Order: sequence, then structure tokens, then C-alpha cells
Amino acid sequence: MRRTGKGTGRQWLALLLGLVISLVAARLPADEVAGTLGAVGSDTLAGLMLRWGEQLAEHHPGVRLQLQASGSASAPPALTAGTTRLGPMSRPMYEAERDAFEARHGYPPVELALARDALVVIVHRHNPLDGLSPAELDAIFSDTRRCGAEAPIDRWSQLGVELPGDRIVLHGRNVASGTHDLFRQQALCGGSFRLRLNEHPGSAATVAAVAAEPSAIGYAGLNHLTPSVKAVKRRDAEGELQAPTPEAVRSSDYPLSRTLYLYVNLPPGGGLPGPERAFLEQVFSAEGQSVVEELGFVTLPEARLERQRRWLEALPSAE
Amino acid sequence: MIDPLPPRPDPGRQRWRHGRDRLATLLISAGGVGVVAAVLAIGVFLAVEVVPLFLESRHGIDWRGLWLPQSVEGHALPQHRWQPEPLAPGEPAHYGMAPLAWGTLKAACWALLFAVPLALGAAIHSALYMPRRLRARLKPTLELMEAMPGVVIGFVAGLVLAPYVERHLAGALALPVILPAGILLAGGLRTTLPARLRRRLAPGWAGIWLMPWLAALAALVLWGSPWLEEALFAGDLRGWLEATLGLDYAARNAMIVGIAMGFAVIPGIYALAEDALSGVPGSLGEGAQALGATRWQTLCRVVLPAASPGIFSAVMIGAGRAVGETMIVLMASGNTALMTLNPLEGLRSMSATIAIELPEAAAGGTHYRLLILAALALFAFTFLVNTLAELVRTRLRHRYRRLEGTA
Repeated sequence: MRRTGKGTGRQWLALLLGLVISLVAARLPADEVAGTLGAVGSDTLAGLMLRWGEQLAEHHPGVRLQLQASGSASAPPALTAGTTRLGPMSRPMYEAERDAFEARHGYPPVELALARDALVVIVHRHNPLDGLSPAELDAIFSDTRRCGAEAPIDRWSQLGVELPGDRIVLHGRNVASGTHDLFRQQALCGGSFRLRLNEHPGSAATVAAVAAEPSAIGYAGLNHLTPSVKAVKRRDAEGELQAPTPEAVRSSDYPLSRTLYLYVNLPPGGGLPGPERAFLEQVFSAEGQSVVEELGFVTLPEARLERQRRWLEALPSAE
Repeated sequence: MIDPLPPRPDPGRQRWRHGRDRLATLLISAGGVGVVAAVLAIGVFLAVEVVPLFLESRHGIDWRGLWLPQSVEGHALPQHRWQPEPLAPGEPAHYGMAPLAWGTLKAACWALLFAVPLALGAAIHSALYMPRRLRARLKPTLELMEAMPGVVIGFVAGLVLAPYVERHLAGALALPVILPAGILLAGGLRTTLPARLRRRLAPGWAGIWLMPWLAALAALVLWGSPWLEEALFAGDLRGWLEATLGLDYAARNAMIVGIAMGFAVIPGIYALAEDALSGVPGSLGEGAQALGATRWQTLCRVVLPAASPGIFSAVMIGAGRAVGETMIVLMASGNTALMTLNPLEGLRSMSATIAIELPEAAAGGTHYRLLILAALALFAFTFLVNTLAELVRTRLRHRYRRLEGTA
């Protein structure tokens, strides 16, 4: 009895398998774009890349994105070694990384901008602080005060803020992360952080730590903001408060902002294989750009977007 | 009468059996040699990766830069500073390894300070005084505690415990004084109880009936924390600490790390110490008591010395685990590379630094090799501690074997 039961099960399975195979076979010729698409690089961009990969899979079911998001620094070696064609990075490539790529392949990698991102200074949601001038920010966070502040700022009372625990507690990202580097370059005028800075392995952890401590201040990527923390505006030389609005971030008027890049291994005059090309088309499409805002980043200026779309159209096909 | 010889086995089969035995022996010894070789290979790999750091001049590293304070921009006096990436091309980077080593040892010391009294106390109580029924329940519970992943402990410590202690600082600092006093008080009160009730509250079951009392006491102290702070420190304990003792307070500090990591090391220390204590022959303690020693004298003069090799290695192995532990320190410490004695400030350990920075360090670069150097230091340290534990254990055991032999 049991044996027959098993037999019928197997028959069903075979039937099902056959059905699936014939369906796939019937589908394949209709969609010439298929294959696995590899990308190695930034963890800041991981969410965006994955969403683009999902969208792509909806339009071309044969395409799968395989993303390895272990940090921007992992992209250049992977591109140079040829293990991937796409390297998302949250900073531009350094000269040395570019040279290594060129030495190996004989041509530079193609640099595409994907989106704009900004760093925001955050405090606990009950903190009455509205804005900070660049020099004040530097005096709070840095040891070196290269932005021109005269004295270090250690207490909230020095900023005219009444808080129960008067000492300012600093939170930020770990050394060697792109976020840490950007903040150091832009907000500390290239100086160094204080030793007292609590270093967290991720932006979400920084936000959580600031949210839990009334006397804390920290910084995090725009896309990590939650209602539990308050974004501090920037006070410019005329005393006007400047918030990281999408327009200000897009036009780089807000200084703590950056462009997120995708580096592509593409020989001059050569074309891109189908999946890569479809992926880039998806990224620069209106649908692809809507994801950028959805995930808390800022879209590129229209002119740059249009230029990259045209470049993509002009690209010869690989086959 | 002599038994007849067993029938001679078939020679072919005997050879097959011998061969199988030899094969098994070979495989087992190969496994043993393999493990030793793997450990050595790790050490060799680390050493090979580190050597270019000192040979190649482009790294610009010497022992002085690693361990002595260096002059740093913005400070008049030389500072210990871990800043492995230069601020800008051409500017100096600072490779002070001392704060990281210091943070590692500080975290381990606080963890042991928290864990050793608790774990040894628990081991002594459960091995010597606890009824077997209760003990059979306690051991699996503590083993469950050991199975708790470090990430979870670190997460709870960093995001739940640290802010809570910050809000109830006065109460939290009072607990280490209040709870032992509460235990003594309970012991004193017990002797005044009527005999029937006293029999109900047997000392062996203290683990159960003390629990509600201590929990109530702790809750009372933490709940009364604001009043305590108001009464003793004019409502601002942190200000008082800073003004009077010169102690800075950070929410994620060495104390929090010590509690969290102590929690992680307690089961290991407890298990080894408990084994050692219950291994002491019962006749030794009974003999001492028969000669008129009190329970306390029996414990301190007879049982503890006899079990000391095991207890020592338990503590040492706990220390090894505390030094190597990564996730708890990473998540609960704030990763501030400070070099202070203050238990209320953050720290940064070598293992956490490796975990955070290695993925971003370019392979073969100075930063990468420095992290490998830190790994080598950790490896050497745990190797030394474990070897020391084993050596002392065998020597002590040798010394106390006579004692056990006569028992």
C-alpha cells in the first residue's frame, strides 16, 4: 500500500517538474535577458541595490542580482581582480585604487552617480537645540578645532542649552567607515575626533544610542533618521538655519552631503552584457529613481541623470 | 581448574581486526596532530603577516610608536592615540596600541571582578550545601546561560542595561553594598525565627527563599534611586562624581561591560569550579568537622585548598574567554580608545577593534598588519593564560594528591 502511495507521489512530482520545465522553456526565448548579475561593495548602498535587483527581477524573471555588501573598500579590489563588473561605493575611488584598476585592465573604470546622501547631526528628541555653526560642531566633536573655534565645547550650557546631564556625550561611526570619513573631512575640516567619541559599527546603532541618552549628540546618514531623534540644522555665516532638505542635498548646498557611486568595468568602445545593461536601465528609469526617495536618499540632479541615461543609450550592445 | 584456551581465532579475521585497530589509532592520532598543527598554523600565519610591518620601511612602525605616548595635534603633552588612518595624505597616523591592550585588560578585569565571586560562591554553595534535587535543576539552568550568544548579551547590555543604569545610577551603585548586607541581614533574622519556621527555611534551600527577598530589596533600591540621589548628592550624582572624584560618566562603560561579560563567563567558571569542589573526597570535610572545625574552617582550610587547582584553572579559563570575547565588548562598551582607570568610562578592546576595522582595512596595508598584530597579541595572551592555567593546575594537583591519596 505504502509503496504504491509513494509511487503516485513520485509520478506527480515528475509531472509537476515537467510542467515547470516546459513553462520555463516556453518563457525563455521570449526574454533574452537572463543570468546572474554580481555586485560587490558598499553596505550603505545595499538596500538600494537590492530593491533595484527586485524590480529588475519583476521585469526580467531570468535575472538575479547577487550582492556582496561588505563595505566600499571591498569594491575596488573586486573590480580590479575581475570578480565583478559592478562596484557600488559610498565615496569616490581613491587615486591608488583607480591606478591599480588601470594597471590591470589598461583603462579606467566608468564612474556613474546613483544618488545623493547626506549626514545629519542628531540629538535626543527632547533636546531644545536648533542649530549649530560649523565651528561649534567642530568644537564639540574634534580634538583639533581646525574649523576655527577657539575653545572646546564640552557642556550643553556652553551652547545655552539646559539639560539635566550637562556633559555632551558623543556618538558616531567607527574608524574606516565612509560615514566617519565624510564627517571628519566636512565637519571637522579634516581634523581628528575626540577620544571620547563612542564608536558604533553602524548608523542604526548610532541613532539608537542617541535616542536612549538625553545628553547625547551624534551623526548618521539621512536615511537612518527615526522620530526618536531630532535633526540639528546648520547655522551658516549669516546666522540662517539650513536643514538638509532634498533640494539642498541634491545641489550640494548642504555641506555634509555626498554622492553615491557605481563603478563599472567597461572597456572603451565595448558594450555591456544583457543583465548589466538591463540593471542600469532600471536604475536610471523613473521607477528606479522612485526607490531612491522611498529609502530616504535624495535623487540626482535631473541634468546628471539625463546625461547618464543618454550615455547608456549610446552604449553598443555586447553581443 | 584452568579454563581451556579459547578457540584460536581465524588468522585472516585476526589480521583484519588488527588492521582495523591500527587504522583507528592512526586516524585518531592524525586528528590530534591535525588540531595541534592547525593551532600552530594560525600562529605562524599571524606572525608571517605581521613581520613585514617591522621590516618594510614604508609602514614606518617601531616599538616606541606602538606602546609609548606620541605627540598629537591639539594636545601639549604626548598622548596614547589609536588613529590608524592618517587624517590626510602626508600627515602622521597614530598607532598607539596601548589603549587597546588596556581596554582589553580592563574589560576582562571588571568581568572577572563581577563573575568570580558569584561563580565561586555559587559553586561552593551548590557543591557542598545544596540538596541534590535543587542542584540537579541548577546545573542545566546555568548551562543554558552559557548557550546565550554574545551578540544577544551585548545587545541587551548596550541598548537596555546601559540606559537603565544611567537613569538609576545611584541605586545601581548602591546595589553591590545593599545586596550582600541584605543576605547577612536575612541570615541574622533567620536565627531569631521560631524553630518550626526556621526548619522550613533550610540553609541548603537559601537559593530559593532568598530570591524574593533580594529581588524585593533590589527593586526597592532602584525604585528609590531618585530619592537616594536627592538625599545624598543633591540630586546630581554625575555632577558630584565629576566634581569630587574627577570621574567622567559614560552610559556605555567598563562597569556595564563587566556585568555583561561577567554574565557570559559565570557558567564556565561555575562548571569547572563545581566539578573541582565536588571532586574533593567527602571524608576530608567530614574528618575536619569530626575534629571540631566549624563549617567555615572546613571550607577555608580543607575543601578549598584541596580543590584549588581546579578553581584556579576555572578562573584562568574564564579570564581567557573574557579577553577574547568580542561581540559583548563591541556592543556594550562604546569603543572609545581611552586609557583611564575610571570604571565609569568607556573602553575599546583589541578584539572589538579587529571586528570593526578589519573588513575595511586594505589587505597588506599598514592598518591591516596592525590589526593582525593585535590578533597575534590576543593569540599569544590566551595561549599563555591557558598554558599557565594548565601548568599551575598540574603542579598544585601534584602537591595535593597526597592529601587525596590518604583519604
